[in-house]
Amino acid sequence: MNKKLTYQSNGFFDEYITNNSFPRKGFKRSIGFFKSLTGSQKIYFKKLCESSISSMGVTFQLNAEELKDRLWPLDLIPRIISLNKWETIERGLSQRVNALNLFINDVYNKQEFLNKNPVLKDLILDSPNFLPECMGISPKNKVWSNICGTDLIRDHNGNFFVLEDNLRVPSGVAYMLENRNIMKRVIPELFNSYEVNPIDDYPSQLYQCLCDASFSTNQKKTIVVLTPGVFNSAYFEHSYLAQQMGVELVEASDLYVSRSGNVLMKTINGPKKIDVIYRRVDDIYLDPKTWLKNSTLGIQGIYKSWKSKKVAIVNAPGSGVADDKAVYAYVPKMIKFFLNERPIISQVKTYVCAIKKDLDYVLSNIDQLVLKPVNESGGYGILIGPQASKSELKEYKLKIINNPRNFVAQPLIKLSTAPTLIGKNIVPRHLDLRPFILSGKKSFVTKGGLTRVAMRKGSTIVNSSQGGGSKDTWIAD
Amino acid sequence: MLSSNAEKIYWLSRYIERAENTARLINVNFDLLLDIPHDHMSDIIHLVEITSDLEQFNQILIEQEMFYNASTSVMKNIVLDFVIYNRDNIGSISYSLEVAKMNARYLRTMLPKTAWEQFNNLHREFSLFDEKNHSSEVLQQLIRNSKTFFSTISDAMHRDHVFDFIKLGRFIERADMLSRIIEDQILRKDARIPKYYENLQWMSILKSINGFESFKKINKEELRRVNVLNFIFKLKEFPRSITFCINRLIAVSNYLPKSDDLEKKLVSLNKGISKINQKSTDKQLLKIIDAFQVDLIDLHLVIEKKFF
Repeated sequence: MNKKLTYQSNGFFDEYITNNSFPRKGFKRSIGFFKSLTGSQKIYFKKLCESSISSMGVTFQLNAEELKDRLWPLDLIPRIISLNKWETIERGLSQRVNALNLFINDVYNKQEFLNKNPVLKDLILDSPNFLPECMGISPKNKVWSNICGTDLIRDHNGNFFVLEDNLRVPSGVAYMLENRNIMKRVIPELFNSYEVNPIDDYPSQLYQCLCDASFSTNQKKTIVVLTPGVFNSAYFEHSYLAQQMGVELVEASDLYVSRSGNVLMKTINGPKKIDVIYRRVDDIYLDPKTWLKNSTLGIQGIYKSWKSKKVAIVNAPGSGVADDKAVYAYVPKMIKFFLNERPIISQVKTYVCAIKKDLDYVLSNIDQLVLKPVNESGGYGILIGPQASKSELKEYKLKIINNPRNFVAQPLIKLSTAPTLIGKNIVPRHLDLRPFILSGKKSFVTKGGLTRVAMRKGSTIVNSSQGGGSKDTWIAD
Repeated sequence: MLSSNAEKIYWLSRYIERAENTARLINVNFDLLLDIPHDHMSDIIHLVEITSDLEQFNQILIEQEMFYNASTSVMKNIVLDFVIYNRDNIGSISYSLEVAKMNARYLRTMLPKTAWEQFNNLHREFSLFDEKNHSSEVLQQLIRNSKTFFSTISDAMHRDHVFDFIKLGRFIERADMLSRIIEDQILRKDARIPKYYENLQWMSILKSINGFESFKKINKEELRRVNVLNFIFKLKEFPRSITFCINRLIAVSNYLPKSDDLEKKLVSLNKGISKINQKSTDKQLLKIIDAFQVDLIDLHLVIEKKFF
C-alpha cells in the first residue's frame, strides 16, 4: 500500500511526514491506520468521538454570557513524540521552572538578580503582576508556581522552543486527561499498537504537590480547589480535578478566616480547617481586604493567613510576576544565575521594547515580527506582522511608541504541522504543546501535554476560546 | 459535605418535586372541570390560588385588559400560561425548573452521571414545548421525567449525605403540598358546589397524588371525607401520605450529624397529625393544618441554621 500521505509539507516541518511526503520513523502505523479508513469510516469515528465527548461531559464555555456548554474539540489523529526526545524536554522544563521559581523568590526577597539587571528591575517593580504585599514571604520549598503550564512549539527544523510560561493559573490539564480517555475508547486498536506512556497519574501527582506546599504538620492535609464559580470558562476543569483528587470544590463563600487566622470551610458537620487551597482565582481577587476591594471571589483576611503560613495558597499570590512576557526574555540568564547551568530547551529570541536598542529594531522591522502585549493571555492582542495590513501595523506602532514597556516582539516561527482530520480529508494544521510541570519536594512533568491545533487552514491561533482544537499527545518508544 | 452543596442539593430536590406536584395539580384540576357542569370560572381561578399569588395574576389580567367576565376558555389559557410557563411567577413550573437548573449546574460532580443526564433531559424536554402548548402531554411528560429522575437517584446513588439532603428536600416539599391541597379542599367546600360534586373533588385529590387505586384497595365502600383524610394524613404505607413523608424525614435525620432541634421538630410534626380523628370538624382540621405548615417552615429553618 502506498504509505505516502496525500499532502505536501509546504515548507513547514510536518511531524508525520518528510519533505517528500514519506512517513517519518515511528509514524507508519498511525498513517497507515488513518489512510486505510474510507470516507464513511472516518465520519463514523468522528461521530463516535463526539458522542464519547458528549456522554463524558467534556465541555468548555466561551464566556460568561454563553450559558451553553460547548463540546470539547478533539482531533482523532494523535500527535506522537518519541520518548527519547521527550526525556530531554522533561529535564529542560524542570530546569526552567526551577529557575523561574528561584527568580520569583528572589524578586520578593533579596532581589539579587534584579539588581544585576536594572532594566528588568524597572519593569518588574512597575508591573501590575508584582504584588508588594508579597515582599519578605517565602512559600514552602521556595516554590511559588507549584503548577506551571509551559507552551512549546516546534520550528521549521522540528526543534522544540519554549513560547511562553504560564505561572499563574494555567488551565488545560483536564482536557489532556480526557483526550486520552476518549482516544482509548474510540481507536483502541491504534492505541494498542504504540507503547504510549500513561498520563493518568496526574491527579495523584497534583495531590502530592499540593500536600508538599503546606507548612502544616498534620499527617492528613485538608485540601480544596477554589473556583470563581460555575460561570467560569474553566469550571469543568476545576470540578474535574477536585473530583479526581477526592477533595472539595469550593467557592469563596464556603470559606472564612477565623479570629485565630485559620481558614475554615463551612460543612454540615461544622467548620473544618483548611491546609491547602488550590486556587483557580486570579491574585488580586483573592482577598478584598488586601487587593481588589469589591472582589466577590475572594476571602476576607486570607492574605494574612497565608503570610503567617496558616494556609498554603497554590500557586502563591504574586507568582504571576514571572508570567510577564518581558521576563521571558531573561530566563536563559536566570538559569545561568540561579543554577549555573545552560538552558536545555531553547526559547524564541525576544525583543523587549523597554530597551531602547530593541525598540528601535522592532519599529523598523515591525512587518517581520510577531508583536505581543506583555500581560495578556489566551492569544489576545497579538499582531502577526507578516500577515497584518499596513494600517494595522501603523496602529500597532503607535501603541508601542505610546507604551513601549507594554510590548515585546519575536521573529515569526514557522510552526510545525501535523495531519488533522477535517471532514473526510487529512490535511496539515499548525499546533503547539502545553506540558504541565509540578514543583513540590520534587519536580514532575506530564508525559506529553495538551496539544492544541489551529483548525483553520494556515492559522496559528490554537486557543480553544478562538476556535482551536486539540489532539491527544503520545509519548512512545 | 460542604454546607453550600447541601443547600443546593436540598433545593434542587425541592424544586423538582414542586414542579412535579404542580403538574399533578394542574392536570387533575382540569380533568375535574370536565365533570362539573356549572360555570366553572372560579375553579379555573382556583388553580392560581393554590399554586401562585392571586394578586400577581390579577395584575396580569389588568395588563392584558382582561376581566373575570372573559370566556372560560380564554381564561383557562391565561391561567395555564401563568402556572405552567410564566417565569416571573414563582409558583409556576417553569420557575421551579429554572431554579433547579441553577442549582444543578453546581452539582454535576455530586450526582450519579445517569441522574445528571436525566435532569438535563427533564429540563430540555420541558423547554422544547411551545409555550402555547397547554396539553396534558406537557404535564404528563414532566411527571414521568421527574419520577425517572428520583428513581435513578434511588437506584444509582451512593448512600451519603448528598442522598440524605435529596430526601429531606423532597419529603418536606411533598408534605407541604399535600397539606395545602387538603386545606384548599376544606376551604372550598362552602361554595355552591352540591354534595355529589364534593365527593368528585375528593376523588380528584386522590388522583392527583396517584392514590385512587390504593385508596380503593383499603376502602371498598363509598368515598367519604373521613376516609380520604385518614388516607392522606395517616396511612404510613402510602408514599404520598403525610405520615409517610414524616417517617422518611425521621429516617433520614438519623443519618445526619446529630441535631436535637431537628428531632424535636419532627416529633412535633407527628404529634400535630395524630390529633386528627373521625370527629375532627373542618374548623379543627384547618387549625391543625395551619400549625402543621408552621412546623414545616420551622423545620426548614432548623435545617438551614444547622447545616447550611
